[in-house]
This record gives sequence, structure tokens and C-alpha cells, in this order.
Amino acid sequence: MSALIENLDPLLRALGTTVLILVVSAVGSLVLGVLVTVARVSPIPVLRGAAFAYVQVFVNIPLLALLLLFVFALPDAGLLMPLTTTVIVVLVVYEAAYVAEAVRSGINTVAAGQVEAARALGLRLSQTLRFVVVPQAVRAVVQPLGNVMIALLMNTALAATVGVVELTSAVNKVNLVAAQPIPIFTAAGLTYMALALAIGLAAGRIEKKVAIHR
Amino acid sequence: MRDIRLPRRRLPLITAVLATASVAIAGCGSSDSSDAVPGGGGDNEAAAGLDAVYEDAPVADDELILPESTMAEIKERGVLRVAAALDAPLLSQQDPSSPDDVEGFDIDLAKMLAIYILGEPNIEIVPPASETREALLQNGTVDVVFNTYTITEERDEQISFAGPYFTSGLAVAVAADNDDITSVEDLDGRNVIVGANTPAVTAVPEVAPGAEVTSFATDPQAVQALVQGRGDAYVQDYTLLLAAAAQNDDIKVAVQPFTEEPYGIGLPPQDPDFKDFVNTWLTEIEDDGSWAEIWEATLGTVVEGDAPTPPEIGSVPGS
Repeated sequence: MSALIENLDPLLRALGTTVLILVVSAVGSLVLGVLVTVARVSPIPVLRGAAFAYVQVFVNIPLLALLLLFVFALPDAGLLMPLTTTVIVVLVVYEAAYVAEAVRSGINTVAAGQVEAARALGLRLSQTLRFVVVPQAVRAVVQPLGNVMIALLMNTALAATVGVVELTSAVNKVNLVAAQPIPIFTAAGLTYMALALAIGLAAGRIEKKVAIHR
Repeated sequence: MRDIRLPRRRLPLITAVLATASVAIAGCGSSDSSDAVPGGGGDNEAAAGLDAVYEDAPVADDELILPESTMAEIKERGVLRVAAALDAPLLSQQDPSSPDDVEGFDIDLAKMLAIYILGEPNIEIVPPASETREALLQNGTVDVVFNTYTITEERDEQISFAGPYFTSGLAVAVAADNDDITSVEDLDGRNVIVGANTPAVTAVPEVAPGAEVTSFATDPQAVQALVQGRGDAYVQDYTLLLAAAAQNDDIKVAVQPFTEEPYGIGLPPQDPDFKDFVNTWLTEIEDDGSWAEIWEATLGTVVEGDAPTPPEIGSVPGS
């Protein structure tokens, strides 16, 4: 344990990087995911097809492969982004596919009569989606979205493989000198668990707060 | 629109793709272990040369295999379980076209140790992550670690080391057109690429406190990052850099070794009999010249000059 206390400063900075990646990617993927879902249920065939293809591509390609492609193939194509930025971009496009699937299942819970009523009231498509469908859909899937965010937190650890100094990478460095993998990685695991617990509890509270009682 | 698809159901497919992709893209081996059959890889000169070494390899006398000892346990099992990399050129490299064929300085020595105990080069390779080597030895998953395992006193508190069997050092590679970096002091204030969990992670800040260190998981990734300009220099083991520079015209070795890394054979903790046994074997292959022959066939192909004198066993703190 002393090894962890001696290196508290770099470890806390690395934890900060993990939280930064988590928060930015979470916001990005939630926004992008909802947009993809909207495209998926829109009446425009091209948009529907594109959204379907997007989800299929990113759900079926492993994150590590995407990370390595973005980090090592994009520079060959002339685009060299800083590593942390690259990781955030990859996490956003990857997790957005899962967010889109979760939100779409929420849209499936909104009764068809709601849309018909909205149209009868004279709402345009964008208004129907903004004021009727999406708010109800998202409220129904708060907990599943929380789970996607927890998965996102775990996925930030893969950033260590491409040189971003986040929590996993930092404990690796400590372990390299201290050579005590079991206590060191247990501590890292507990930290991830605490963060995941916080996300889960927050999702539970939000769900209670925004639940629709029918 | 009522078809609810659960994306997580695709997990088996994702796992399958991941396995393929990690081999194809990252170039790191799959996690399943394989029995290496050295006789099957006689298609190049080095391997053919080593067949003779294997044939004449020393085998331990029966009285050296003490009853109830780790050696006896390995002999009973019929296979030596080795933690070794699959992606380290010249040290321990899996042949992509024939996955059972792993060659290099580390792994050839492991086969020699297997012959010493079992009479045949029966090894089972468990590719470790650098951070799990102590745990693999402590919980008995592997018998020995041959993995450019630098002997340190901190590690010696967790496990035991036989050897050192080889001394190398960290050197610096740069892009072929870069003439600005000629000494380690020049790394100060620059962006330096290192291999994750290698001694370079701690050594670079010591010699160049102002350097920005970026670590990549595997050697091919680090080389790629250097070529693409993510860093000004790549600090890694001298022999690994020589091997990389020999394969890639875009990089060159700019600074000769500036540290000394004594590599040891990782052994389970508190097992003095096994440690003595492995050190006896090491002395034997060093004295009969097979150590040098293995060096010539592997690392010797990129390092100029004759095989170096092996380091004295037990000569560094922790061994």
C-alpha cells in the first residue's frame, strides 16, 4: 500500500484524466446517440439507413480495434490528433451506438397514439420528436443509459494501451517499480468500482426523479 | 419499429472479432498457450543451426532432480510452463505463419532449460503482461519467466531470480532524418516514446527530467508512433531497437545504451533448491558454449562482433 501513497500525486492526476475522458465522452455520446436514434426513427429512408449502418458498424467493431485504427491509421491519412483527443473521439462514436440502441428501445415504449395525438394537435415532425417522443423515451431508459455510462467508464481503461496516462496506465507505472500487482490493481479496481457505483446511484436517483407515472 | 434488438447479445461475435483483430492489427499474440516444437521450424539457417545445439543440450543427472522439489514436479508433469512474450523480435517471437513456432534468445534458453529437466524441449508458453509476472509466479501459473525481466531488489522481495543470464541496456532511436538527438541529455524537453511497463518508463525521467513521456503497449506500436511523429525519440532495449531499425529504414539508433539492465530468470519465491538448480544449468550452458551459439543465432544477427561474455551469476543486487 505504501507504494500507492508515495505516488498519490501522479495517481490522482491520472484519475483526473480518467474522469475527464469519462465526462467529455459521456456528454458527447449521449448527444450523438440521441441524434442517431432520431435519424433511425425518422421518415427519411436515407437517414434511417445511415443510422442503422452506424449502429451496426460501431456495435460490431471492438473498441480496441477502433482505438488502434484511429491512433495509428489516421496519421497515415494525414490527421494527427493528440492522443487524449483521439481517445475521446473514439469513445464518443463507439458508445453513441450503444446509447442509440438504448434510446431506441425507449422510443419503442412510447405508444403510437402519442405520436398520432401530437400530429392531430398540429405539431411538426421535429416538434413531435422534441416535445413528445424523445423526452418520454429517454425517461424510460435512464437506468440502461447509466449502464452504458458504466461500460464507458470501464472502456476508458483501454486508453492505457495507446499511451494516455489515465488511471490504469498510472497504476501500471507504479507496479513496474513496486512489483506488487495484487494490492495495486485491487486498489485501482476499487476506484473504478466506486466511480461505477456513483454513476449507478446517480442514474437511480435521476430515474426516480424523472419517472413518468402512468 | 417494435423489433427490440439487444446489442449486448452480439458479445460472442465481438469477442471473436476482437481475438482476430488483436492478432491482425495489434500484432500481439492470442492468449491461448501453445506448445512450441522447435524441430518444426527448421526452415531457416538459424533454426537449423540451433537443432544441433538442442541435440547436444545438457540434461540434468537424476540426483539433481531432488524429490518433492519444483524440478520433480515439472518432470512429473512433462512440460515446462514458461511466461514469455510472443511479439519480441529476436527474443521471443511467434512466427505468424506457424503459430507453434516461437523463436528468439529468451525462448531458446527456455527450451534448453526444458531439455535440462525433461530431456526434450517441451514448453508451454503463457504470454504475460509485464505487470502480471510476479503474480503468475506467486500463484504457480508458470514455473519460470523468460521475459527480458530486469533484476531489481523490489521484484526480488516478491519472487526469486536466477542469473543474470544477459545484460543489455536502454538506447534511443529517432527518425532517420533526425540529427538533433545525439545523447540522452538531448531528450530533455522533448516528447519521448517508451514501451509501457519497460524500464524506460522510469529511466527517461531520471536522465532527462524535462522529457514528456508517452508509453505504448507494444514495440510495433511504439515504432509506428515514432515514424508517425508522435514523439521525437523512442527509448527501448538496445537489441530490440537494433532489430526494429534493421527492419525499418525510417528509424535509426541514435544513442548507444545508457543504462545497464541485468536480465534474470524469474522463479517462484522461497524456492532456493530450484534457484540453485537453474543457476547450475545456466553455468553449464554458458561453459559448454551453447549460450553463445544461441546468442549468435538470435541477437547476434543484428549486433556486430562476437558473442559477449555472459554476466556473472549472482553479480547484481536481487539475484
